Amino acid sequence: MKDKRWIAPTILALVLVLAIVWGYNQYTLSGKLNTALTNSHQRLLFDVKKHVENVQVALSKALVSESREQNVLLLSQIMNEAYFAQDKLSQLPVTHADIAKTEKFLTQVGDYSYSLMKNHLSGQELTSKQREALFNLQKGSAGFNAELSDLHDKLVEANFNINSITGKGKNRLEKANENMLQTRLTSLEKQMGKSPELIYDGPFSDQQLNKKPLALGDKKITLAEAEKRARNFVGTKKVGKVTSFESGKDASTVRIPSYTFSIFPKNASKESAMYIGVSTKGGKVVWMENPRAVSKANISVTQAEKKALKFLEEKGYPNMEPNYSLKYDGTVIFNFTYKDRDVTIYPDLIKVKVALDNGEVVGFDASTYLMNHQNRKIPTPKITKEKAREYVKIDFDIDSIRLALIPKGKNEVLCYEFKGKYKDSDFIIYINALNGSEEDVLQIIKNENGTLTF
Amino acid sequence: MKKGLLLTTIFVLVFLSIFMFYEPKNLLESSANGFLMAPKVLYWGTTGQDVKDVQWKLRNWKYYDGKVDGVYGARTYRAVRRFQAKNGLNIDGVVGPSTAKAMGLNFQASKTAVKASTSTAGINQKGDVYLLARAIHGEARGEPYVGKVAVGAVILNRVRHPSFPNTVAGVIYQPLAFTAVADGQMNLTPGKDSIKAARDALNGWDPSYGCVYYWNPATATSKWIWSRKVVLKIGKHWFGN
Repeated sequence: MKDKRWIAPTILALVLVLAIVWGYNQYTLSGKLNTALTNSHQRLLFDVKKHVENVQVALSKALVSESREQNVLLLSQIMNEAYFAQDKLSQLPVTHADIAKTEKFLTQVGDYSYSLMKNHLSGQELTSKQREALFNLQKGSAGFNAELSDLHDKLVEANFNINSITGKGKNRLEKANENMLQTRLTSLEKQMGKSPELIYDGPFSDQQLNKKPLALGDKKITLAEAEKRARNFVGTKKVGKVTSFESGKDASTVRIPSYTFSIFPKNASKESAMYIGVSTKGGKVVWMENPRAVSKANISVTQAEKKALKFLEEKGYPNMEPNYSLKYDGTVIFNFTYKDRDVTIYPDLIKVKVALDNGEVVGFDASTYLMNHQNRKIPTPKITKEKAREYVKIDFDIDSIRLALIPKGKNEVLCYEFKGKYKDSDFIIYINALNGSEEDVLQIIKNENGTLTF
Repeated sequence: MKKGLLLTTIFVLVFLSIFMFYEPKNLLESSANGFLMAPKVLYWGTTGQDVKDVQWKLRNWKYYDGKVDGVYGARTYRAVRRFQAKNGLNIDGVVGPSTAKAMGLNFQASKTAVKASTSTAGINQKGDVYLLARAIHGEARGEPYVGKVAVGAVILNRVRHPSFPNTVAGVIYQPLAFTAVADGQMNLTPGKDSIKAARDALNGWDPSYGCVYYWNPATATSKWIWSRKVVLKIGKHWFGN
């Protein structure tokens, strides 16, 4: 090896070979990943088609069937298939803008079926309006299915590759495929936009989305007035500078239109700002948040609860009763519900967060209360406590019984609330105080930090 | 000279054969175990018996000199980092499956859960909190605290909205929905603030007043987003419906 001229080319040749080998491996790997992703997307698309087909068929059957039992089975099938279709549709690599209404259609089909099922089970027959709505849904899903069939045929022909995310549509075929999927779904989207609003009672219904707050009143307040209220709420002594958030042209379209402020405490850095929202109508504080760090716990949860109660009274919320608490980040959060004489009103909920170092209130959320609170006429119970007990499972070990108003769709129902244990687990059972039907069962999860209900 | 050529050829052949027959072994599966699953994880702000176990172990091994109080604070965090550095683990101050294993702990068969009752075992919010915190961290790291809570609230508002998937994971992982998910920023370890913001959002605080969209006017590329109802500007983001 006298000749050293060979060393450099040898190394270079080696590097080149290494690079080629590495590149080849990367290439095959990316090919494999690409295929895996395409397969999974194909599966989703075909599944969506199948599920929508099933929805369409079950809807037609439900229109024909006269027996209530059969209808309940069909409706539960519709609900299942519609949610599957919605779930899988949302996993396809298509922008949200192109499938928002289609997804909404599928969610509402599922939600609507569920509400009809509940009606059926409580003994009501389908009304002519509900039949008409089912008929419209059937038409909608038929249209959807036709689009999907068409799309399906085209894609099978065109050796389809759906990976718009990974491929970024490099070759023309991919781009065409991607466009095909997008345009198809967009044209469907336009049809869906025309379908009428479904009127029913369920968490995903338009009525629920467009609900208006009940506890605000009509008096509008100015920005300056709102700022004054925000200052008063936190305590004027503590407040330094206050800045208002910029609001957009549609700020009044949200559920509780509000002015929002950052409040900087006196002699404090920028990081320790507090935030507060004051409603434009009625000028109520909707929420407040003080994200300061809490060093160490000096007071107990019971002491914190007293501080929170006193705070609520000062802010004009008397008759509030603490229900659940949860401890985290050196703070404890209490759920307070309004109490009308001896009835607990669950829809009127206020959350208060207390710092465990000095008992200061560092969080407040009254949005649920402001949405729901009103002067109610609470009915008198038609059945007695003892009678209601008979509707509860016989070996349910009861700790306490009281009257409570719980939300049920857009309505509220008066119930007897049975708290207790069954086989070592904690539950709450609600029995309707007017007709004795079981309205709800909640499971309570307890740990050392507090209580959660499911 | 000829010897050199021969040597090179041999080298090249050896390397070629090594790489040609080397199959990248199921990269899909191994990466899936990395971060897609959400096993039990302890991090800054966590409390409970599991944290006590960790503190107890670390104290015995002289990594930790604080109280065994079951609160994952600054001292526990630093002790965990020291432990991870000593044991050649990824130094992130989070007790995940590998760190727990190195400590000889197994959270899966958590004592408290077994004792409580079989019908509630494993039901908690922790999975949602951590997932949401990661999404917030990826999307709104540089935002003021209220902006972080608002991003978390938007994700939760989407869960309750008919036009979106009905689970937290479904919303976060919806294709083309969040850039931080697409480019992997979401897999960074969330900071203390993001975790706190996630908890506040889950407990109902909503500075966006029910919005389901937000966008950064400086980087938003979709024209469609500007056709939304514009509600409020928090930090760099506009929120809307």
